[in-house]
Amino acid sequence: MRARADRFGLFVPGSSPIHRAPLWAKYLAVLAIGAAALVWRIAPVAVGLTALTVLLYALAGRHVLSRWAWPLKHLWWMFAILGVHQWWLAGGGLAGLWHAVGIVGSMLAALQAARLLLLSTEQADLLDGLARALAPLRRLGVDADAVTLALHVMLRSIPALAGAAGDVTDAATARGLRRNPLVLAGPVVVSAVGYAHRTADALAARGLMDRDDDAA
Amino acid sequence: METMPAPSIVFESAGVSVPDEDAQRRGLPDAARDLLHPLTLTLTERRIAVIGANGSGKSTLLKLINGLARPSTGRVLVDGACTVRDTGRVRRTVGFLFTDPLAQLVMPVVVEDVELSLRARVRDRAERRAHALEVLARLGIERLAERSVYDLSGGERQLAALATVLAAGQRILVADEPTTLLDLRNDALLRRTLDGLEQQVVYATHDLAFAAEADRALVVEDGRIVFDGAASDAVDAYRHLALEGV
Repeated sequence: MRARADRFGLFVPGSSPIHRAPLWAKYLAVLAIGAAALVWRIAPVAVGLTALTVLLYALAGRHVLSRWAWPLKHLWWMFAILGVHQWWLAGGGLAGLWHAVGIVGSMLAALQAARLLLLSTEQADLLDGLARALAPLRRLGVDADAVTLALHVMLRSIPALAGAAGDVTDAATARGLRRNPLVLAGPVVVSAVGYAHRTADALAARGLMDRDDDAA
Repeated sequence: METMPAPSIVFESAGVSVPDEDAQRRGLPDAARDLLHPLTLTLTERRIAVIGANGSGKSTLLKLINGLARPSTGRVLVDGACTVRDTGRVRRTVGFLFTDPLAQLVMPVVVEDVELSLRARVRDRAERRAHALEVLARLGIERLAERSVYDLSGGERQLAALATVLAAGQRILVADEPTTLLDLRNDALLRRTLDGLEQQVVYATHDLAFAAEADRALVVEDGRIVFDGAASDAVDAYRHLALEGV
């Protein structure tokens, strides 16, 4: 799997107000945008929230702003499949289009908010912060470190999937095949399963999935 | 260079088999195919090479040592710890270096990935960072600390992956074709680095010159060890085996 699709959520050093904001405030902002996107999945709200993320990226500096379009450039096929599917579910036509814009736009806004958190915060700070926040749940049997690691691996898989899509697209183009998202989806899924296996092996080999009772 | 006592890796009739789907489709529900026939051996040498054709069972043999593969028969012991029952203990003893370092590196920045290996042992962030930088310096790659793992060359990436393994402080390093994806320069750099480690290193490779540097070598063919002995003899045996009939 290529390493090109790397800019999804790599920390961009800076001293902007967004960078300096406390971690809890950033999480709260992501939560608020995500909740709004989830509750009002309509086109005007989705477009408004997406515009808000552009504004926040601009506040974080031009290096961060220049990365805003990354998901559209590398994950266009995923948004295209989702959009067509939602349009079709809503019965097509203009009403279907508005419905699709509402759903896909909401997802994009939530995604961009989460990316801004990653772009403006060192990952080690994110892991430590999340582990601290989840620590009280240990009493309920929740392994905070395991949850934190799982979330991190999930985020890491997004650029990897985009990389897989790029590989498959290039392979299809090299063979003179058209870049049909539906045709490309199969090989991308197969590649994603292989990636998941390799990641699981790597985590297991590093002992990152061993729990304390096992390690004792 | 040998400052650590060599740990022992013991295979006791350890074999790996998987369901044979072709035979099962032909009406034999219990049919199984051996990826690795039961083998008994003890590995104590400082450098052990494993050579063989693609699909011969090299990776399965290596994965048994770290507990990534479970034996279907017999058992594997690392310093007396069973790889199935005491997996946590075994993984604190055995590190694993994959062919593709990108599969191994989880964090986007090199020093953060090394820190990840230390999270369980070192809770203080500053101390963890200092320790991670120390490991990178030991490998001579402290300049890569703040670099994105995606922006590194193949050799730098493999060295970064090695740093994440060494940070965990294991006494045995298992490396599955660690130089396969590297160019000549990076190949030489990684080999020199591996040679300088005090850990016991068990590695699979297709590079016969690299294999010949080992203290002992195993030749694997169709899931069986067909030669076990001095590395130069093993390389000759494998060359004869591989080129027979070509």
